[in-house]
Amino acid sequence: MNTIKALIKKDLYNLSSYKVSIMIVVIFCSLAIISTGSVNYGPIMISTIIGMSSLSTFNYDEISKANKFILTLPVSKKEIILSKYILTISSIIIGGILGYFLSIALASTMNLFNENKIDINLMRLLYSTVGGLFGISLVEAIQIPSIYKWGAEKGRIQMFAIIFSIIVISAIGFFFITKLNVDITNIENFLNNYGIIFLIILTMIMYYISYKISYKIYKNKEE
Amino acid sequence: MKENIELINVSKEYKDFKLDNINFTVKEGTIVGLIGENGVGKTTTIKSILNMNNPKGSIKVFGKDIKKYEKEVKEEIGTLLDDSYLSEYLTAKQINFIMKDMYKKWDENKYNSYLKEFKLPSNKLIKEFSSGMKMKLKIATILSHNPKLLILDEPTSGLDPIVRNEILDIFRKYIEEDESRSILISSHITTDLEHIADYIILIKDGKIIFNLPVTSLLEEYGILRCTEEEFKNIDEEDYINYKKEKYSYNVLINDKDKFKNKYNLKTIDKPTIEDIMLFYIKGDK
Repeated sequence: MNTIKALIKKDLYNLSSYKVSIMIVVIFCSLAIISTGSVNYGPIMISTIIGMSSLSTFNYDEISKANKFILTLPVSKKEIILSKYILTISSIIIGGILGYFLSIALASTMNLFNENKIDINLMRLLYSTVGGLFGISLVEAIQIPSIYKWGAEKGRIQMFAIIFSIIVISAIGFFFITKLNVDITNIENFLNNYGIIFLIILTMIMYYISYKISYKIYKNKEE
Repeated sequence: MKENIELINVSKEYKDFKLDNINFTVKEGTIVGLIGENGVGKTTTIKSILNMNNPKGSIKVFGKDIKKYEKEVKEEIGTLLDDSYLSEYLTAKQINFIMKDMYKKWDENKYNSYLKEFKLPSNKLIKEFSSGMKMKLKIATILSHNPKLLILDEPTSGLDPIVRNEILDIFRKYIEEDESRSILISSHITTDLEHIADYIILIKDGKIIFNLPVTSLLEEYGILRCTEEEFKNIDEEDYINYKKEKYSYNVLINDKDKFKNKYNLKTIDKPTIEDIMLFYIKGDK
């Protein structure tokens, strides 16, 4: 466990050079929330920024050929991958929580000065946060194995290709559902009642599968 | 003397290259140098010892199978692998915080004393260091958990002669401190190995050509410079390889004294390790 801690520390130190940029982007997001009044997008934007920043650690590793060095240390490939997933998932969650409370704080502050009060619906904001976390998690669950397979730079291109394919397949699926007049009321009801739990479980399954794929790729990869 | 590294029939096959049945040992208290051209298998051998490339054959480090006891064994090894490192965007101080969690036996005081000895700033980003400073930091990093074995891939390449000497001194001091320690070092700079190594292993096309003590290479080997007629009188089994020059022949022999007695030829020069390597690689038989 200590070796995983060491690897996460290494990534966090690398990311510390990003802290000013992240703060600037968060300020811009706050301004966007204030000017548009779209409070619900706050958590999505901030978790996306922080979550995506964590993936830049792969670029740092690639530049310094860090994995080659790390594999000479008393650490297993499983631990190397696990440390990346812990960092990525934690940063998305932290981004989501930060975004949730920042959105509430911004909306409340705006309501102090504005006559047109913004409706702060905490439940709706929570739905939006979990939905956003699911979206960014889906992207990252695809991106991490892609990076292990093709490297940090190429992996990004392959990831866009995969996401594009998913969107196309989903659109085709949706097209057939509407064309064939399939009754989706039950699905809608299910999502309304259990949406948050469903998305959380789905995210966990997604990350588990992603981790397994990454490990399978990296196990046979030679640095 | 116990063996710190033992390789038996180690092979690794790639599309265009094969490391072919490598056998050698690195005993306690010795420094073994790996030499050879680029791409002949030096780094592949090192990666095999570290179980980084899934090789075939038996590899034991400190008497333990590296595949079974990888983590345990790596606690006792310090490795420099070409230009790889944790990150250039860290400071020496942050390296200490990371390594403290990485190694059970990390010695913070030792690391800090190395930083002091090598005059390395602890709060400056590594990317701002000179190449000599970067190498010294890497050395401080791999020595501060008191490893029993150092595996070094081209540790002095790209460095000026002064820094190279300083680094060789560090390795000399390291081996002198404890008799159970060993170093396996691959280098293009064969003069460095002449100064530091006890044994030299020459690899060519994935195979070991020789594995000999440096003293026997430098004392027993010789280069005979002779005419074509003199060369024609030499039996083939009495020399290793030859190189035909414009008006003469240069011949590498592995037993100077025996050769002198047999042929009564006096002009036999003392070779360097580089000379010997070039004869084996580029010479004819």
